[in-house]
Amino acid sequence: MNEKDEIKKLLVIAIYAGKIMLRNGGETYRVEDTILRICKSRTIQFAECFVTPTGIFLSMEYQSEVLTYIKRINNRTINLNKIDLINNFSRKFVNKDISLDTALDILDNIDNEKEYSSRLRFFFGGLAGGFFSIMFGGNLLDLIAAFFTSAIVVSTTDYLARKKATFFLSNFIGSIVAAILAMLFSLSGFDFNIDKIIIGSIMPLVPGVAITNAVRDSISGELLSGVSRSLEAIIIAMSIAIGVWIILRLHLLILGGIY
Amino acid sequence: MFLFKQFIFAYISTIGFSILFNMPKNAILKSGFNGALGWLIYQSFNINLSSSPIIAVFWSSISVSIIGEFFAMKYKKPATVFIIPGIVPLVPGAGMYYTMLAITERRFIDAANLGNETLFIAASISIGIIISSSISKIFRNRNKKTAK
Repeated sequence: MNEKDEIKKLLVIAIYAGKIMLRNGGETYRVEDTILRICKSRTIQFAECFVTPTGIFLSMEYQSEVLTYIKRINNRTINLNKIDLINNFSRKFVNKDISLDTALDILDNIDNEKEYSSRLRFFFGGLAGGFFSIMFGGNLLDLIAAFFTSAIVVSTTDYLARKKATFFLSNFIGSIVAAILAMLFSLSGFDFNIDKIIIGSIMPLVPGVAITNAVRDSISGELLSGVSRSLEAIIIAMSIAIGVWIILRLHLLILGGIY
Repeated sequence: MFLFKQFIFAYISTIGFSILFNMPKNAILKSGFNGALGWLIYQSFNINLSSSPIIAVFWSSISVSIIGEFFAMKYKKPATVFIIPGIVPLVPGAGMYYTMLAITERRFIDAANLGNETLFIAASISIGIIISSSISKIFRNRNKKTAK
C-alpha cells in the first residue's frame, strides 16, 4: 500500500473519531483537539479543522496536495461512555499502540457500543425526576408521583428517539405526557403539588446542560457553536413550555379555577 | 438535618441522571458524590449567607469542576465525564422552562427577570468550570515538567 492511501485512511479515522465524539455530547474544543492530535501523530505537517455542533470540516496537506473531508452531524445525545472510550482510543493511537488497519475496527466497535437497557433507564429516570421534585420542595407524595411520571416520560422520549423523531417533537410529546400524568395525579384528590411534579418530571428533558455548554463555548471563543447550541436549548425549552402550557390550559378550561 | 437530607436526594438524582447520560459503570458513584457535594454547597450558601443564587451556583460549580478534574486525573478519564452529571442539579433547566412558560402566558416582565437569572446562572457555572479547568491545566503542565 502506498503512502497516499495511508494518509486517506488517517483522514477517515480522524473524522470518524470526531463524529462519534460530537454525536455523543463532546465539547467543540475537545473534538477539534482529538482530530488534530490524531492527524499530527503520523506524517502530516499541516492540518486544520473546524467543528460546529452540526458538522466537522477537516483538511490536511500532504506533499503539497490538500485533502478535505466534510461530515454532517444530524442528531446529538449525551453518551459519556463513548466519549471516554474515544479518549482512550486517541491516547493509544497517538502513542502508536494501534495500527491504521485495526483503528477502524475499534472505532466501529465503539460506535456500536450498547447503552444501558431501557428497563434500567426507566427506573433511574424515575429516580432522577422523583428526587428532583423533592429537592425543589415537594413532599413525599410528589416524590412518588414524579417517579412514575418521569419514568414514563423518559421511556416515551427514548421510544420517539428510536423512531427518529426530531428533537422538537420528542420534547413536545414528552412534556405533554408529563403534564397529563401530573394533572391526573392532582385530580386524584390527594395532596399532590402539580407544579412540583411537572418540574421534577420534565427535568430529564430540560436543556440545562445544553445552555451551560453554550455559554461555555461562547466564553472560550467558539462563537458559532455557542450560538447554535443556545438556539437548540431555546427551542427545546420552548417546546417543553408549549406542551405543558397546552395541557394546563385544557385543565383550566375543563375544571375552571386555578391550577 | 435539612442539609443531610438534601445531600442524599441530590446523590440519588445525580446517579439517576448519570444512567441517563450513559456513564461508564465504574464512575457512577463518584459522579453522584460530586453532584451531591455541589448541591450541598449551593444549599448552604442559600441558607446561611442568603446570597443570590448566582454566587452560590458559582462556588458550587467551582467545587464540582475541581473535584471533577481531580477524579479525571486519578482515574484517567476525561473531566467532562465527572463534570456533566455533577452540574445537573445546579443547571438552570427549570429556569429556562419557567422563562418560556412566562412568554407563552404573556407575562413578559417575569420572562425578562427569569431569563436574566437563567442566563447569569448558566454563565456563572461555565465561568466556574473554565476557571478550574485552566488552573488544572497549569498544574498538569508543571507536573509534566518536573517528571522530566
